Amino acid sequence: MCDKGYVNYFEILGLDEHAKPGDVRKTYRRRMKELVGEIARVEITEERRAHYLLEMAKFNAALYVLRDTPIREAYWEARQEVIDLERQWRESEASDEAAAPKLRRTFDRKVRDFLSKYVEELMLDAGRDKECVDASHWDVAHERHAFRILRHYRHRLYKEILERLPLADVTPLQVDWDKRARVVRQVIAGSG
Amino acid sequence: MPRKTRDAAEVKTVDPELTAKAIAKAVCDGDIVNLRFLFHTFSPARADSPERFETDKYAYLLPTAREEGTLPFKESLQRVKEPDVWGHCQHELEASHSPQLHADLLLLLADNALQAGRYASAAQAYELLRIRERMQDELLRQADEAFDGGNVAHGVRGYMIASRLAYDYAAFPEPLPALADYQKRALMLHGDYPAQLSDCLAMKEDDAFLDAALSYLVLDPDVAARLKQRPLEQRIAFLKRLVREEDPAWDEFVEAYVEACRVTSDLGERWRPGDRGSGGTGTDLAKEIAGQLADDPMRIPAFLVGRTIEDGEWWQYLKELAYMHPAGALFVVRQLVGDREILLPCHKPDSPVAKELGLTKAPDPFAWAAEDSGAGGD
Repeated sequence: MCDKGYVNYFEILGLDEHAKPGDVRKTYRRRMKELVGEIARVEITEERRAHYLLEMAKFNAALYVLRDTPIREAYWEARQEVIDLERQWRESEASDEAAAPKLRRTFDRKVRDFLSKYVEELMLDAGRDKECVDASHWDVAHERHAFRILRHYRHRLYKEILERLPLADVTPLQVDWDKRARVVRQVIAGSG
Repeated sequence: MPRKTRDAAEVKTVDPELTAKAIAKAVCDGDIVNLRFLFHTFSPARADSPERFETDKYAYLLPTAREEGTLPFKESLQRVKEPDVWGHCQHELEASHSPQLHADLLLLLADNALQAGRYASAAQAYELLRIRERMQDELLRQADEAFDGGNVAHGVRGYMIASRLAYDYAAFPEPLPALADYQKRALMLHGDYPAQLSDCLAMKEDDAFLDAALSYLVLDPDVAARLKQRPLEQRIAFLKRLVREEDPAWDEFVEAYVEACRVTSDLGERWRPGDRGSGGTGTDLAKEIAGQLADDPMRIPAFLVGRTIEDGEWWQYLKELAYMHPAGALFVVRQLVGDREILLPCHKPDSPVAKELGLTKAPDPFAWAAEDSGAGGD
């Protein structure tokens, strides 16, 4: 079962699922130090700023979620739930046509909630955490820029999940790309 | 107590011919808003809705007699009436769940929208069909081919359309087609006060200026990045076309700009005693100008936007300028005068971009500064 798109904070820090809070802190500090060093070395452009802000927010959120057992367990449970829902919906789509729309709606709601909470909300919360602030020097200016960047990241993850699922708002489509190329040619030529 | 009956809704019948025509019109016009509305809970096409096609307020959903006679409408109607498409539409109009649109209709709608220049509608339809990014890639691929084959006009058009299909995934609350938010972008463009004239955007080298201009004017950063790899003359041709299409009133701006340059140039002659380029600070210059000219310089930003903003700050003029003439924001500079900043027109007299856009017919507003500091132009 593909779990791409369901943000995995263990993977972000390069840890396995059984890593202890001490390992999480140690790895976080090392990764953040490397990142801050890299930021200091390069010239900051608009694109790079967005990239580094997102990386920083991801590391901060990883620490914030994984160092605390109740938050970590709630996160992993919620993640597992949406992954299971995706599997159930795919199975029902193949076998039980009547139940599929309801399952799809439930899955869609849950996946949106999951991404809102664990991509946007917790990443912003992490930026206000003392331990994260000390290591990353995250401040209000970072937060101001991060709103848009995190929303963008959330929608990208959502899209990544949707792209591998069957179409729901639209009937299945067989795209003839030769025909598409002809349409594009006509549009560029200003005829049609 | 007897329950109220829904008399109006229960006795309602919908003329299927009107429904088919309304769907065909939305498809033919490339109007995704109307198409989605037709399947919405309160659509006049639904039997369980109290709304009716026959009322005046829904006249806009139906084709006029002239439209009905056109070939594109007839083709759309024919497609709507194909048994599998019509069967699906009827099923969705009777169902109580969120509607599922027919992919063939949506694809035709998107193509029609693209042909008609309704890019936001096309982008939304392609996005629903999950082929928007691939359509952009195809447009860029063919545009590159056109450029490489020497067909600059087609290359420019391909890039233009691809950039208009951009999507804003950070839009709130849901992703939407990218909006032309030049008022915001212009403020970022002029975020830093230029310490010297050479620091201002319009005075930069052609390559650097073009890169900044494309990042500002092209809504899709990926398209802008790809365009930056094209040769200078192709980027200039693209920029010229983009400016004209974004701003049909560009020539009016050019006229106002010429006047603003003339006034700036005249004032500059009176600023000459100030030592702007070698050791003098912006504040020294400001005091001098304020002393000599009283409220004269405020006429300049008013020329640029075509009206005076009462107690207007430089950024108010800049936002208005960017809204009315997006590319105009590329050819201005902030200048402190007295205790306030104003916007002044600014371009490099030998800039090929300024020349293509007709701005070099204006006198060089900072010729006096160039004379003062030798060939450097600072």
